[in-house]
Order: sequence, then C-alpha cells, then structure tokens
Amino acid sequence: MKLSYNWLKDYVKIKESYEKIAEGLTMSGSEVGAIEEYQNDKIMELEITSNRPDCLNMIGLAREVSVVFEKELLLPDMKLSGAIKTKQPSIVCVIKSKKLCPLYTGRIIENINVKESFGKIGDKIFSIGLRKVNNVVDITNFCLMEIGQPLHAFDLDKIKGNTIIIREAEKNEKIITIDDVERELEPGMLVIADDGGPIAVAGVMGGKRTEVTEKTKNILLESAYFEPISVRRTARKLTLSTDSSYRFERGVDKDMVIPSANRAVSLIIKESGGEITELIQAGAIDYDKVPINFRIKMAEKVLGIALDPKRVEKILKSLGMTVETKDGAIRVTPPGFREDIRSEVDVIEEVARIIGYSNIPAKFERFVPQIERKEKSRKVDEKIRNLITSLGFQEIMTYSLVNEKGAGIFPEINKPQVSLKNPLSEQHQVLTSNLIDGMLKSISWNINRKNNNLSLFEIGKAYYVQKEKRPYNEDALLCFALTGTVRKSWHEKDRDADFYDLKGCIEALFDGLKMETYFFDKKIKGVLNSSAINIGKEMKEVGFAGEISGKILKGYGITQKVFLCQITIQEIIEKFILEKKYTQIPKFPFSSRDISVLCDETLQAGKILKSVNSVKNKIIRDVRINDIYKGEQIDSGKKSVMISISYGQEDRTLTEEEIEAAHNTIKTTLSSALGVSFR
Amino acid sequence: MNALIKLEMIKNEFEQELAECRDSGRVEEIRVKYLGRKGELTLVLRSLSELTPEEKKEAGKLANVYKNEFTEKIHNIKTKMEETSDEAEQGIDITLPGIKPALGTRHPLTQTLSRINEIFISLGFSIAEGPEIDSEFYNFEALNIPLDHPSRDAFDTFYVDDEYLLRSHTSNVQIHLMQGQAPPVQAIMPGRVYRPDAVDATHSFMFHQVEGLMVDKDVNFSDLKGVLSIFCRSMFGDDIKMRLRPHFFPFTEPSAEVDISCIMCKGKGCRVCSGNGWLEILGAGMVNPKVFKSVGYDTEKYTGFAFGMGVERIAMLVHGIDDIRLFYENDIRFLNQFK
Repeated sequence: MKLSYNWLKDYVKIKESYEKIAEGLTMSGSEVGAIEEYQNDKIMELEITSNRPDCLNMIGLAREVSVVFEKELLLPDMKLSGAIKTKQPSIVCVIKSKKLCPLYTGRIIENINVKESFGKIGDKIFSIGLRKVNNVVDITNFCLMEIGQPLHAFDLDKIKGNTIIIREAEKNEKIITIDDVERELEPGMLVIADDGGPIAVAGVMGGKRTEVTEKTKNILLESAYFEPISVRRTARKLTLSTDSSYRFERGVDKDMVIPSANRAVSLIIKESGGEITELIQAGAIDYDKVPINFRIKMAEKVLGIALDPKRVEKILKSLGMTVETKDGAIRVTPPGFREDIRSEVDVIEEVARIIGYSNIPAKFERFVPQIERKEKSRKVDEKIRNLITSLGFQEIMTYSLVNEKGAGIFPEINKPQVSLKNPLSEQHQVLTSNLIDGMLKSISWNINRKNNNLSLFEIGKAYYVQKEKRPYNEDALLCFALTGTVRKSWHEKDRDADFYDLKGCIEALFDGLKMETYFFDKKIKGVLNSSAINIGKEMKEVGFAGEISGKILKGYGITQKVFLCQITIQEIIEKFILEKKYTQIPKFPFSSRDISVLCDETLQAGKILKSVNSVKNKIIRDVRINDIYKGEQIDSGKKSVMISISYGQEDRTLTEEEIEAAHNTIKTTLSSALGVSFR
Repeated sequence: MNALIKLEMIKNEFEQELAECRDSGRVEEIRVKYLGRKGELTLVLRSLSELTPEEKKEAGKLANVYKNEFTEKIHNIKTKMEETSDEAEQGIDITLPGIKPALGTRHPLTQTLSRINEIFISLGFSIAEGPEIDSEFYNFEALNIPLDHPSRDAFDTFYVDDEYLLRSHTSNVQIHLMQGQAPPVQAIMPGRVYRPDAVDATHSFMFHQVEGLMVDKDVNFSDLKGVLSIFCRSMFGDDIKMRLRPHFFPFTEPSAEVDISCIMCKGKGCRVCSGNGWLEILGAGMVNPKVFKSVGYDTEKYTGFAFGMGVERIAMLVHGIDDIRLFYENDIRFLNQFK
C-alpha cells in the first residue's frame, strides 16, 4: 500500500513533517519502508499486515494518524447526491451462491460522458501507483483507495439480457478479462454472469466484453461483499492478484458496501453528468457486532504496566470502538472495519500499540537461577563436534532436500524416501536419507576450485518413511570424509590419504568417546573395502566406512580417491557415559615385549589381535600391531607381523617369570589357533 | 686365558665401541656392558680370587686402573655429548615453516547457533527440539493459522502428503513442548525450516530458526523486552539500541517486530539497513490465548511470550556475509575464515 502525504491531509489536519508521520505509523504497526518524492509530495511505501485490511485505504491510514497524533478525523460525504429517476432499473440481480456473496448491489447511471482522466482524482490515484484509465474508472479506483471498497463499472449496453446472476463458474467456462487474457474457470470460482456467460470474476477482475470505454453511455456500478476465502482461492488459482482481490480476501468493511457506491455515484455524476435509477440490491448482510469483555487488570497482567482507565477508553473510542462501562466491567464493540478484533487480547494489543511499545519498560526480574537442563543428546553432539574438529575436520552444512538419485545413492543402506508433493525443482525434491550425497557434492565443489586436499564432516539428519510411531522419521547422522594428500609439507614426502587414515580418525573419535571400535567386512555396492563399524562390548553396528567407488565418484565429477564413513548418532548417545570415573594411575611401570608373527599374507591382522585378546590374563594390559613386513628374508606369500604386548600390575612390579609365562601362553595360543610361526 | 691379555682385549673393545658411539643411550649401554653388575670388567674383577697370588696382584691392579679409566671416559663422553647436543640445534632453520597440524573448523551457522544457545542458557532457558516433518496441526492449526487465510501467505509450505509437511517455522516445537509439560516453560527451540522460496542472495528454501518460549503465571510484555534486550546486547554488542514495532503474527497477540540499530553504521543509515538505521532481526509477542487453548493451558492463569529469529540472517549480519548461498556451498575458502 502506498500513501500520499498530501492526500492524507484531506482527512486529517496535520502539521507534522512526513518523517514524523512515517515514524508514527511505523511505531503503531503500519511499517513505512521507502519514501519517494513525487511532485512536491512524499509517497510512502507501507507494509500492511494481513490482519489490517482497514489500513489498505487512505481513510484507514488517516484514522491511524489521527489516533497516534490525537487529531480529528475528517470523513468525506458518503450521502447520495443527484436526482433519482423514478423508472425501475432495467436490470435484475440474482444471487445463486449466497454463501460466497451475501450482498450484491448495482446502480445504473445513464447518459454519462466518458472522457479521458481528469484533474485531482486522476492525479491522486496516479501518485500512489494506479493507472489512469478514464474519468469513470478513475473514480471507482479513487473510491477503492479512499474507502477500501472495490467497485466495478460495467458498460450497461454490452450486458446481454436483463438478468445478472452471481453464481459459481461452470466446468470449462472461460472469460477474457480486461487485461486481455483468456482465463479458464471452474466450479468454486464466483462469477458475475449475464445471458452470454461470465462478465466478471467476482472480486478479482472484470471481463473485456463489458468493459467501460470512451464510447460507453450507460453503466452499471457494482458494489458487493464477496466471501474472503472464495476470492482468495480464485485469485490464487488464476495466479491473478489485483487491488480488488487483495482487499476482498482480507475482508472489506461490511458497513461500507452501499455508502462507498454512493460516494462513487455522486462523484461520477458531478464529473460526467448522468441520471441514476433506484439501487438494485440482492441479498443483505446480517451480522451481530459482538461486544468483548475487557479487563484493565488483564491488560496490566499481559503488558506488565499500570494503565489509566480513562486513557484506555479514549484510545479505544478514537479507534472507532464503542466502549460501555457497566458495574466496573468494560464492554468493547469494535467497528465493522475491524474484524480482526475478536477477543480481549486483541483489544489489549490496540491499547499497547497506541501507548507505544517503547513506553513499556524492559524488566529483568524474570531471570531466576535455573538448574542447567542440557539434554544428553546435546552434550554428546557437542563432544563429537569437539573431537572431530580437533582431528582437523572442517564442518560443512548441506541441503536436506536433494534429487532422487542423491537420496538413494547406496541402496543397501537406504530407507524408504520421503518426497515432496510440491518441489521447487527436481534437484531438491526428496528429503535425503544419507549425508553422502551432500558430502560428495561439497568435495566436488572444492576440487573444481583447485582445493584437492579435504577433511570434511557434517552432522545432519536422515529422513525416511517408517510407519511405527510416526509416519516419518528423522535420525541424526555423522558423516566424514578424507580425500587428497595428507599433511603436505616440505618436511615429508606427500602421501595420499588412504583407508587407514580414515580408520584412524574413526578410532580416535571413539577413543575420545570412550568406546571400543570393531570393523567387520560388509559388502556395500559402490564402496570399496566397505566395512561395518561396531562399537562397545555388545559390538553394535553404528555405520560403515570405506572408499567410494570410482563409478559413483564419476557421477560427481571427482577423479581422486575419497574415503568416507557415515555413523548413526543415536547409539552413541545411549552408550555415552557423561560422568567419567577415575581409576588409579599404576604406580609400577609396565614392561613391553614383542612377538614377530610369521603368517600367510592374507591373514587379517584382526584375527591375530583377537587371538591374543582371547588369552585371559589380567597382566596383559595392551596389545598393538607395531610393524608389518614383507620382502627380504620373508618367503613370498608370507608376512611378518610384529605385535607389542604390554604387561603390568597396579600393586607391584611383575617378575620375569610371570611375564615369560604369559608371553609363552600367547605364543602357544597363536600357533594353535592360527598355525603361525615366530621369527 | 691369561687375565692380563683378557683385560687388554676388553680395553681395546671398549675403546672401539666408545669411539663409534654417537648417542648417549648407546654410552649407557656400553657402561652397562663393561661396568655394570654383570659387566665384562666387573666379572674379571670378581674372578680375581681364582688366580695365583702373583697374577692376582698384577691383574687386580690393572683391572682397577681400567675401571677408573673407563668410568672417567664414559663420564667425559657423556658430558661432551650433552654439550654438543645443545650446539646441534644450530642446524635448524627457524625461518622454515613448521609442520602444522590441520585445524578443524565449525561451520559459521553452527557457531552462530551455539552462541545464541549459550546466551539463552545463561538466562535459564533449556533447549528443545522437534520434528522437521510435521503435521498441519502443529505447523498451522494449533498456532492459530487457519487454512485459506491470508496469514498463511507468509508460510508457503512444502508438503510430503495431504497432512504432513516440512515445517515452515520452528514454532511447531512450542506445541509439542507445551503438550508434554505443564507451565512453567522456558525453552528455546533451534532447528531447520523450509519454505518454497527460489534461491538467491537473500533467500533459501532451507534455513535455520531459533524459537523461544516462556510461560508462567504473570509473564508479561515487559519481561519479553527484558529478555530480548539482553539477547540483542549480548549478541550484537552492548552499545546497540533495540526497538519493538507492532506487527501481526497469528500465534502472538500483541505481536512485535524487533529492530536493532544498524551494526554497520551505528544507526546513521547505510546500504545494509536500507538507509533507515534499523535492522529487523526478530519476531516476538505474547502467546495468543488461542494457542494455549490448543494445548489445554489455562488462559486465565498463564501468560507467556514467544519469539523467533533467523540464524542465517544473524550470522550474515555478525560476519558481514552478503550471500546466503555461501552457507551451503561449503567452499573451504569460506569455511576457513571462521576458525
């Protein structure tokens, strides 16, 4: 809505500068944005909220200004002037759909003189951005912008037959609107029709066939009340929003349907001559103005300030409300143009916005100490983010809406997808069930910009269909990936990241979470060396790790190796122990012994470790693989695996014999379980 | 073997090993080998009793001389090594770049979210989360946003079926939260939201919001201003000004939009604030009793306030970022700036 500062002065005598007016409007709820200069006038662009259709016209805004600045509001004359022809109107109106149109009125004006736009009225509507058409149409637009009631003038002589029907459109019915576009109508859309079909889309736009032109001699001036929901649906379906539909869908003043038409008729006769007939009216608006019980105490409770009842009453009255006080109770009846005021809090808001929000002080006594109630899930989330950034990973954030291909990238780990009914594009039509697609897109983006060495992670969600408790589910996931060269420097030779770098990061992460990790073979199509990540004593599977196959990478335009893992966070949250218990630091140093195991090249190191760990002796404190050796001195097809075992006890130093005994048991176990020899 | 010859051999071997020795660890090994409890020289000294008295006299004398000699040599070489190791650092070029471990970074949006969370946690708020895929009831009806009403214009929505949608704001969590607990309620609700806006420098179909809610007996508009003023000053600086303008939200009444004085130009007017000196950063208001009714709260007894803010907008203002798309491109040249 645009507001002309000069035009405003027709309705309220203000001496305040346009800046003051703009400030006053903004701070009472009609936000003024840009202000433009136009021929010694200031045109303000206002953002009117959807609950305030009464501010979509000059009088409404003038009322706001008059209340804020405590000035008198000057209303124009709404009485009909001009001689009424005694003869009966030649047109009859019939409402077929009372629900969508409770009241329809028309006034015939004969022998008018349609000319090009004229003087002040044309200039005023032009100044706030409306097109000048001709003197008659300009007046209907002027009244629309002045009072807020949309009016429409039909060329009477182009109406076929003598009955106007207000009805829903029929299937396959069409109309060419005055913007020269043919529009397809459907049931549910309200139209104004004559014997030849629709002549207007009710409340939205008139038809070309009955348009007023400079040849028009007689007109039918429409003023009606159309049901907001119907106008809104119709305008949306036709993707046609007009000044008229914008107001009807927010609700026009039911009391002003006839007075607005009177104002327009008087102006038309004054400007272009003509004679009028009796009002043609179909239907009527019956509605009760329901008073609202208003309690000063409640207003004080909500706002947190003391209120002066006299001032409150004055504010409400100046806003057009009727205020009755009976036995200490206040009953407020809002005017017809304020249908947004329906309950006590609505009245409270009116009081607050006129007093001014800036006059309500900020209070701080609400801040009472509270026990910290941080959810465990948030603490774990925080812990994971800390650990993984300390491992050098950079956090990314990707769209949860992806294309179908991305959402279903690994069928083995994929759950039923959730798709949008109304996507913006194919690229973002499915809620993702993995973080891999987003990760690969981000890697590709960076490689294309010559940043090839990446360690990235994301904590996000997988969305999927699972009709247990709710039809849709959301699981938190962690995904991280390595690609390119590891730690590039002058000091060491470059080395490409490999599976062990990824695995090491996974192990370090779970070390930090105090959970053991186990890796098992798990076939996943599209992932090389794919393995399941299991954690804790129960070896619960929480995700997978591996190298993404070249075929999949090609789809993202990536030609270097990418190592990636995806982990479900829920299991970690459940297992995570918030309060760590201290265990005594050993007073006696541990001693370490090595074993060089000679075995088949294909024997998995994990089997050796598992075998060592199967020896139950509490002096075995740690087992790790120190070296893998193949080549000279080792037969082909064999390898040498060096394991270091740490022995110790808290309360004393172990004897040589104890260590020797344990060490020998391990050797015996290894050779009997795996048939290996020792070097 | 003659004890004297053996002593000679031990001496030669000792001197050769010591001459080849390059580090102090090896020196200690040599000391143990010759002078230790089971050391070679020690063993000779212990076996003297088995010799003839003459041999014993001569060999004993020599062995003791060697013992002192060895001890002294070992002491000398150790001292020398300690000195040279101090000098050896001269081989380092301190102007060469160090071997820098990689620094991980958090995404600027996570950082902004954490900051917002911290501020509200310090004010006694807890953090609640709720579903992103939710029903119309939680996203609209319970929040007093009726179907086919112009108030829905601001909330164009992605649907996944006839009833479920991607939440267009985090206000849905308010309803879940209040359904699950009686007042007092004091929580913030961060999360992802979706609206079918075409992507450009200032629009995204996915973004983040933080919703806040406080309900109790006698929570009022003054308290809301207090909480928001502490938040704004903590987030944007103690010197900023804040103002509340009346606005309309279906789920609050009275409602307000919250502006802060422009953090770029300090309120003088610049490109960022479109010249008017103010930046809109929040929507807020007193919870509409209709919302309380939808969760079964007593509207006579309880009042409350709610507010909501866009995390991207705040991050953009704080860091001077001019394009919302940067957050989702994940260019490391962007991410690296927020270490």
